[in-house]
Amino acid sequence: MTHYAMVIDLNTCVGCNACMAACAMENQTPVWKNKWRTYVPEKEIGTSEMVMRRFFPRLCNHCDNPPCLTVCPTGATYKRPDGIVMIDPDRCMGCRACAMACPYDARYEVTYDDIKTGKEFYGELQRTSPGMDKCSFCAHRLDKGMKPACVETCVGSARQFGDLDNPADPVAQMVMSGVAQPLMPHLGTRPNVYYIDDMKRKG
Amino acid sequence: MDTMTYTTQSLWTWWIAMYLFFGGLGAATLSISFLTDMYCRPHRKLVLWGALSGVVMLALSSAVLFGHLLHHTAVIYVLNPLVLFYQPHAWIAWGTQFILWMMVWGLLYALPYLRETPLFMRMPLVGSLLKTSLAEWLSGCCMKRRRIVGWLATINGIGITVYTGLLLQSFPAVALWHNPGVPLLFTVSAFSTAFAYLLVLLNVFILDENDQDIRHRYERFDVILIATELVILFSFFNYTLSGSESGYRSAQLLWNDFGWLIGFIGFGLIVPFFLELKGVIRGWGSRFPTVAAGLLVLMGGYMLRHYFMYAGVYAYPW
Repeated sequence: MTHYAMVIDLNTCVGCNACMAACAMENQTPVWKNKWRTYVPEKEIGTSEMVMRRFFPRLCNHCDNPPCLTVCPTGATYKRPDGIVMIDPDRCMGCRACAMACPYDARYEVTYDDIKTGKEFYGELQRTSPGMDKCSFCAHRLDKGMKPACVETCVGSARQFGDLDNPADPVAQMVMSGVAQPLMPHLGTRPNVYYIDDMKRKG
Repeated sequence: MDTMTYTTQSLWTWWIAMYLFFGGLGAATLSISFLTDMYCRPHRKLVLWGALSGVVMLALSSAVLFGHLLHHTAVIYVLNPLVLFYQPHAWIAWGTQFILWMMVWGLLYALPYLRETPLFMRMPLVGSLLKTSLAEWLSGCCMKRRRIVGWLATINGIGITVYTGLLLQSFPAVALWHNPGVPLLFTVSAFSTAFAYLLVLLNVFILDENDQDIRHRYERFDVILIATELVILFSFFNYTLSGSESGYRSAQLLWNDFGWLIGFIGFGLIVPFFLELKGVIRGWGSRFPTVAAGLLVLMGGYMLRHYFMYAGVYAYPW
């Protein structure tokens, strides 16, 4: 069984935001209100000559124990057998409980106005109803044998995508070695996005 | 060097506080008035005031939530009772069903009394509905099975008050919300505000000298519930002071805010506690202190939920 996961190396992310642009075009996100499926916050850490700039790509962590799924009252949020957490936009009533439950700030609103603006912005919009939205690991691309748009476009190869159930997969090996760690594992969400820390080397 | 970001949310704000407040208050009001009618003594006026205002509060609560949905037509999925089978882990699904059925049981319990009241029988649309053979048959059934209907409503009511806390408890990232104290606190607060609301009704609108025992009993219950709420809040204070940065920051937000300290703890709990305590021990010469205490408890009930919504702190590692 495939179990998709992503590893993000914070040492090699240069903050070019190409992943955000690729994702926005691929998934038609409401960029006009600064809402993205993947986002790269930046922060200056340290003082004087010890200062460093950190880029921290973030997205839905496709948790194995997703709190967004358990709180969803309509069943719009569901999990595929390959581990991807999806939203059925027709079934989502937009109560925002999922966004409240998500510890990774991965979800955003799509309103009636966004649908209207989206049609003007993108020409033809795949989405027809408002509701909550988030990263789908580009499930439609995976189903065609392609990689997620953000992974494919990443210039520093900071994002790597693979199958945790395949021991030969480099992503699975990085996770198994412990070099890549999930965010906030104490919450019990069992995320499938892992990070290689930059602090030990630079901080 | 702080690599973390701490932030409050702006998705569920005052409107969800209204939803939680009116949901809890309406449900507890219905439950208490029906229990009084079943086990204290039959009380037509109390049931009518309690049931009708309770149903209005539940409807208002649902309307607030519905108004803020992004995709209104998809609400059909959660109105379907089968939702409890395919989403049994989603508290909003339970809450929606509890609220819907609470309104049904609430109106059914009040139906025989509605048909006994000339005011409602004379009302243009309501009167003609109450005179239909279906209403007559339903009313007869409800009279025969009064306690069953009353207990169904009461169980739903308790379910709603607990649900308002469970909803917040299901958000794991925020220490202030994700703990077993929240359902307990919101349940105690809902029943306390309902007793306060009914005391206001009994002292302002249902003026009957024979109700002195009910008023006294309600006041006694409310004093106990306010004291319990203060103990729970003290536990929350201690719980949030250490253990997680999210909780600590919530504590800083709450306990450094005069609205919370003076508005809620002071005027929403401590002042009405002493007003009602004096009423229980020695009584008051006029109705005003009891009514004032009731109104303060109601204000405090909303403030609790309002501050809880705004003080939840998320900790992001970026």
